[in-house]
Amino acid sequence: MATMRVLVTGSTGLVGQAVQRVVSENPTEGEEWIFVSTKDADLTDFEATEALFQKHKPTHVIHLAAMVGGLFRNMKYPVDLLRNNLHINDNVLYNSHKFGVQKCVSCLSTCIFPDKTTYPIKETMLHLGPPHPSNFGFSFAKRMIDIENRAFNKQYGCKFTSVIPTNVFGPYDNFNLQDGHVMPGLINKIFIAKRDDTPFTVWGTGAARRQFIYSYDLAKLIVWVMREYEEIDPIILSVPEEAEISIKELAEMVIEAMEFTGEVLYDTTKSDGQLKKTADNAKLRGYLPDFKFTNMKQAVKETVDWFVNNQDIARK
Amino acid sequence: MKVLVTGGTGLIGKAIRHAVEENPCDGEEWVFVSSKEADLRDPKATKALFEKHRPTHVIHLAAEMGGMIRISQHNVEFLRNNLLINDNVLYNSHAMGVKKCMTALTSAIFPCEIQYPVDETNVHDGPPHDSVSGYAWAKRMVDVQNIAYNKQYGCKFTSVVPINLFGPYDNFSLKDGNVMPALIHKAYLAKKNGESLPVWGSGSARRQFMYSHDLGRLMVWAVKEYEETEPIILAVGEEDEISIKEAVELVVEAMDFQGEVAYDTTKSDGQFRKTCSNEKLRKYLPDFKFTPIKQALKETCDWLAENYEEARTESKP
Repeated sequence: MATMRVLVTGSTGLVGQAVQRVVSENPTEGEEWIFVSTKDADLTDFEATEALFQKHKPTHVIHLAAMVGGLFRNMKYPVDLLRNNLHINDNVLYNSHKFGVQKCVSCLSTCIFPDKTTYPIKETMLHLGPPHPSNFGFSFAKRMIDIENRAFNKQYGCKFTSVIPTNVFGPYDNFNLQDGHVMPGLINKIFIAKRDDTPFTVWGTGAARRQFIYSYDLAKLIVWVMREYEEIDPIILSVPEEAEISIKELAEMVIEAMEFTGEVLYDTTKSDGQLKKTADNAKLRGYLPDFKFTNMKQAVKETVDWFVNNQDIARK
Repeated sequence: MKVLVTGGTGLIGKAIRHAVEENPCDGEEWVFVSSKEADLRDPKATKALFEKHRPTHVIHLAAEMGGMIRISQHNVEFLRNNLLINDNVLYNSHAMGVKKCMTALTSAIFPCEIQYPVDETNVHDGPPHDSVSGYAWAKRMVDVQNIAYNKQYGCKFTSVVPINLFGPYDNFSLKDGNVMPALIHKAYLAKKNGESLPVWGSGSARRQFMYSHDLGRLMVWAVKEYEETEPIILAVGEEDEISIKEAVELVVEAMDFQGEVAYDTTKSDGQFRKTCSNEKLRKYLPDFKFTPIKQALKETCDWLAENYEEARTESKP
């Protein structure tokens, strides 16, 4: 009988697949891992979520399920991104409390921090101002996870916490050009440009800067958080500040990994989104000073190779 | 025009009803509902309520409320229940094509660490006070939803921020009530029992107080004329801010209380000031006349004395 039953919501997504990989590479005695997705339950529905918890009776939860989207989707559908995520998160946290889950780890994002802020961003700054208008629906819904974590802990002693990754990328991402994030968007665009022998166009000026974390590294860290991190306060999971790169530098890395030799254009009529979101990973380094992130070029190559070799299943 | 007023039997609901009855307009129908008609935490019940009344406008006052102590002890419930209520009302307002939905927020939504006076642009500039956190965050999310619905669907959803109300039909509970109704109730009991009037704190904290009847008139104006998505603070001016000591003196006069007033300085004053700017309101209604506070207090004290048995004087368990 497993002593630890870990329910992972959103397990077929970018981060969920990476968690599956980490767990399968390092199986641990006494641990049972249950990976679920929308096929198993619509988490926007309270009864369906309750039934899922009733069925699996988890002792731990890694809550990755969310309605997500890139910049343009966020700008167009703020109600959906706000409401669906509020419902999903409330249903999961409430049922985690109801079923006596020992720890629930949810996933936030650096994009939810205040727009007007000093850099680098630290965990304590989460609620110090409104988020960027381009993704305020998603941002507020995610911020409410932290509010609920604190409320449940204060009133019931629940150990609900959260992680804050920076831009994640890897196999099983959403490579759709409208809905996906910047890295998979670039990969898919170059793939199409190569295939059709057309120029490759980057949206925006390329000046925006980001820290990218490989999903595999993030998954290792999330599993560590689930097992060892005892605070209710969130923890930023990111490469260090020095590893921040511009979208232009990123495009060049992907071009190299895909061996693209065609023309590269920048469509400056398109928004850059936030120009920077630099996050401080000092808290993480305090806990895990020796954690080694996968080399960026290698991670990009693995992601590109996955996309090229899995065209039939890749979300695009 | 058919206006559905949720939470219609509370302090603000009664004040709106009073304003509407003072000035009835042709072609307007006002429906005041309470939790007896529908549990707004329930999406199906809320939908049924909207389908029954088919409003063109909504004034959303319903909330799970309470004093500071109750909110801080039941933070989860205050957060979740109010999130549910507000989401259901806004969602159904959109689904039914309501032309305008106006929600009452609270001054508790403002950040606890901020420079005063605050105005409408400060709502999200920092976390609210810990003691009212659940309630405040749920109310803030109304503003977020208003912006989202306007952006995605063009809905005219907005909100008002009333400041430190008092009036007939208030919650006069000594434990849960706001400062002015609690003072009025204490003065009533002190007079009745021939005791001294106990006041918590030194009396030096300062507040802007507004008569609920004035708020009622302003909200009727706002639901018809206020077109912005951003909230509007509904308050008397900064110049009308008074100390708690001055408020006590006014209540003593209105109640005709002759006994002694005892300030318990071991009790906290709370925040020294929470001044809100009513500049936006003044731009829209430069000539609006607030009821003089002496008259407002007299009317409220008289109402409590006449309606003590029916008034909300007990705190909720």
